[in-house]
Amino acid sequence: MDHSDDIDLVGRVAKGDERAFLALYDRHVSRVYGLTLHILGEPMLAEEATQDTFLKLWSRARQYLAERGPFLSWLLTIARRVAIDRVRLESRRPVLTDANDPEDVWQNTPDLGTVSEETRWRSLHFAVQSLHPDQRRVIELAYYQGMSQSQIAEVLGWPLGTVKTRLRAAMENLREVWNEK
Amino acid sequence: MVRNEHSPYLENIAAYAVGALDAEEIAALESHLQTCASCRTELAEYRLLSESMLTAVPPRQPSVALRNRIQSRLPGARKDARPRWNWSPGFTAGALAFVVLLALNVYSVSQMRALQLQQTQLARQYQSGQTVLAMLSYPATERLPIASESLAGSFLLDKDRNLAALIVWKMPQLPEDQTYQIWLIAPQGDRTSAGIFRPEDGQAYTTQIIFPKQGFSNYVGIGVTVEPAGGSDQPTGERVLKVDF
Ligand SMILES: [Zn+2]
Repeated sequence: MDHSDDIDLVGRVAKGDERAFLALYDRHVSRVYGLTLHILGEPMLAEEATQDTFLKLWSRARQYLAERGPFLSWLLTIARRVAIDRVRLESRRPVLTDANDPEDVWQNTPDLGTVSEETRWRSLHFAVQSLHPDQRRVIELAYYQGMSQSQIAEVLGWPLGTVKTRLRAAMENLREVWNEK
Repeated sequence: MVRNEHSPYLENIAAYAVGALDAEEIAALESHLQTCASCRTELAEYRLLSESMLTAVPPRQPSVALRNRIQSRLPGARKDARPRWNWSPGFTAGALAFVVLLALNVYSVSQMRALQLQQTQLARQYQSGQTVLAMLSYPATERLPIASESLAGSFLLDKDRNLAALIVWKMPQLPEDQTYQIWLIAPQGDRTSAGIFRPEDGQAYTTQIIFPKQGFSNYVGIGVTVEPAGGSDQPTGERVLKVDF
């Protein structure tokens, strides 16, 4: 995927160009929806969060600064915040299992970008999947459900120190995989 | 890890990067970060990891209806955001004109409902002017004249990449309830739709990009007819132009 094309398109969106907006939608919607579905667990809620994310793109495109990082990261950061706000609003019980995450969806999803980017995403995905289950639960709750360490301790009935140790260990493990490239 | 003045903060940096610290811890860490470069470096690395975790979730396709729903809710959208071309006398209808017009018009490709997703993706790949330029300078690209009494233009055909561009000068506007429709013509005479289009107001050229589902080698030509708005399954109206390969 060509990042300079993204930058060009988002610049046009800032000027109200609907075609450029739809081009960005077509490029990135599968990543936005994949993330919001992972966080919210229900297609209807995930589509609403996807819609809110893209409407925010429409109204805030001017705030995107290319020198701060790739457009997709910026968009997905918005998507994560929107979805996590929604989780809190619904005060839904967090999803502790990971039933909606079959590996085979990787097979025929478009827009994965270049082969090397895809490899990196996949390796991090599988690294999260293969964390020790206790570490993975903490990561899921913290990162994908927006809970603080003390909230996690409460939900799981673990001592706060245990939650902190496991979160730190999980992040160190993921960092190792990420740095291998 | 050596225990030193950073230890209580270092231990919190990973949690901070994923937004899992409680409020008091955040305040303490942030004030330490202001004075400590090594902790800022550590944070920068975890921030990158945290950002990458946004894409560590499998992509999924939402319903097709979502796109229309979002499009209908855009406040203050400008439908036609293309820059207008300034025609100068020295500017002739050479390859450069085609490049500019192709680049301007490729955006419309992603909007063509008739195209399949795969074709839309192809269209995206051709969004960059460089690639369009490559198509024009590609040795195998054929430039065929348009055979019509009233219209002039060219048909660029790149059989190797299964890509074509139809460029027509001053195509007449149609009433609201009509559209132009492009047809791929098979050797036995069968017609397959390759999309509908309406000329843009005030544009000297109309450019349409064509990616057939099957290769161009399955066809002997293209035609354009006038059809009711929305297009037809088979040609019903007057043919305005034809190109034989
Ligand atoms: Zn420090």
